[in-house]
Amino acid sequence: MSRAWRIGGPTGVLLSLLALWALVTGLGWVDPLVLPSPVAVFGVFWNQPWLMATNAGITATEAIIGLILGNACGLLLAIIFVSSASGRRAVLPLAMAAQAVPIVAVTPALIIGFGDGMEPKILVATFLVFFPMLVNGMRGLRSADAEVGELMHSLDASAWQRLWMVRLPAALPFIFTALKFSACSSFVAAIVAEWVAANKGLGYLIVFAGSQYRSDEVWAAVLIGTLSSMILVGLVVLLERRVMPWANDPTEGLT
Amino acid sequence: MSAALANQPPLRARADGISIRDVQMVYRRGVQTTTALAGCNLEIPAGSWVSLIGASGCGKSTLLRILSDIVQPTSGQALLGGLTPTEARAERRFALVSQHAVMLPWRKVLANVELGLEVARVPKAERRRRAEEAIEMVGLRGFERAYPSELSGGMRQRAAIARALTLKPAYLLMDEPFGALDELLRDRLNFELLRILEETKATLLLVTHSISEAIILSDKVVVMSPRPGRITQEIDIDFGHNRSPAIRDDPRFGRLESELRHALGHSMGDEHH
Ligand SMILES: Nc1ncnc2c1ncn2[C@@H]1O[C@H](COP(=O)(O)OP(=O)(O)OP(=O)(O)O)[C@@H](O)[C@H]1O
Ligand SMILES: [Mg+2]
Repeated sequence: MSRAWRIGGPTGVLLSLLALWALVTGLGWVDPLVLPSPVAVFGVFWNQPWLMATNAGITATEAIIGLILGNACGLLLAIIFVSSASGRRAVLPLAMAAQAVPIVAVTPALIIGFGDGMEPKILVATFLVFFPMLVNGMRGLRSADAEVGELMHSLDASAWQRLWMVRLPAALPFIFTALKFSACSSFVAAIVAEWVAANKGLGYLIVFAGSQYRSDEVWAAVLIGTLSSMILVGLVVLLERRVMPWANDPTEGLT
Repeated sequence: MSAALANQPPLRARADGISIRDVQMVYRRGVQTTTALAGCNLEIPAGSWVSLIGASGCGKSTLLRILSDIVQPTSGQALLGGLTPTEARAERRFALVSQHAVMLPWRKVLANVELGLEVARVPKAERRRRAEEAIEMVGLRGFERAYPSELSGGMRQRAAIARALTLKPAYLLMDEPFGALDELLRDRLNFELLRILEETKATLLLVTHSISEAIILSDKVVVMSPRPGRITQEIDIDFGHNRSPAIRDDPRFGRLESELRHALGHSMGDEHH
């Protein structure tokens, strides 16, 4: 696959979709209250750039802090669980049970407890990304070949050395799988939490603009939310390539 | 000839070498048991070179895994220089080159070769020097910055050998280390290994499927037979040390080859009864 196609392909698809969007709204096939024209939606960015940027910034901050906190906790717990059987037995059932809590349903309670600031949104995002990292991390930390373990054993490596030299590098592909997943879901979590109670952020903007039938603003918020989480996923992918150069598929450039 | 005899390894106190006493190994998997080793006895004097040869599944790797403290024998005792494998491992007396050249895929060749020294907390400059020396010896110069996935099987084997050599072990345990190499390279590395062994006075226990390699690299070839794994014959190779490729032309070489082939055939023949 050539470089030109890798960039040009998706761009072409995107432009076609935009054209289709302009066409169906221009011909009046859909109610502009449901889907306004692209001109109207992009007009929002033009007329109120500051409104869009600040609210997107708030949501992104909540999502990113939640992403970092949740993944850090998940990975830390995964490390503890694979290193200590007693720790695993004591806490893993609890962690599993916590995963079953419908966190979005608990959000109103969190708002009562933490107010309508950023904290409850960060908490929801943290909670939502924590478990995928725990599960993937545990699998990843155990994924090195048994023979690699035997090699480290015969070299008389310490538990720390095994963690640092074998377990963590072996876990990286799994860690990045979780990270890519949670880069999206942390945005969703922050936006949904903002629906419940907030006076800023994209979720708030969507609810507020929606209640006043300003669907151009709703769609502008959706668009910028999509864009922000795509950028976040892109950053994770870039990081993955940097951190795991050995895993770059040498045949990728050929096919 | 007399020079060769003068270079015979000294038969020193047994405690210095490798000692395998009544070692039995039974693997259990559920209700199924496999007797990988049935009462093996073997004494390897310090500084001498021994090869294990025998049909697939006769317990050669198992014996090496017992000596390197990866598995515990069901009964009996294995000692390296009077130490149990666990003690010898803690004191870093031995190095193991396992049957499948094990590499950490996320480390380049140089870092993989340095691994043992890094684990032993040898300072960076020193371990770089020793790793580069070992890489040179196994002919991997120019591949220091390649990832294991970019190497051929034989190159990975050589990297694994280099990693063991950096450790300058008193006991070198090698499980078919040259299996994936072409004849010429194998020959070159065989004699390179001998040179290193003479220099470091290390004791060698080598598993091989090649009769000629066993002769070239051994003071004694131990023939094993499977089901249950046991030692059937020990054949002394009296070429002394300081060997050169010319030993292939020695009339004794051919005789030993056919003797070994016969012994192996015999141990295989048992299997089919
Ligand atoms: N981890 C294990 N669990 C159960 N059985 C095992 C295990 N490892 C080895 N065995 C069995 O023990 C026997 C000896 O195996 P071993 O690997 O020592 O043979 P080997 O002589 O090295 O063979 P090869 O020349 O094919 O490498 C075999 O029958 C094998 O099936
Ligand atoms: Mg084997």
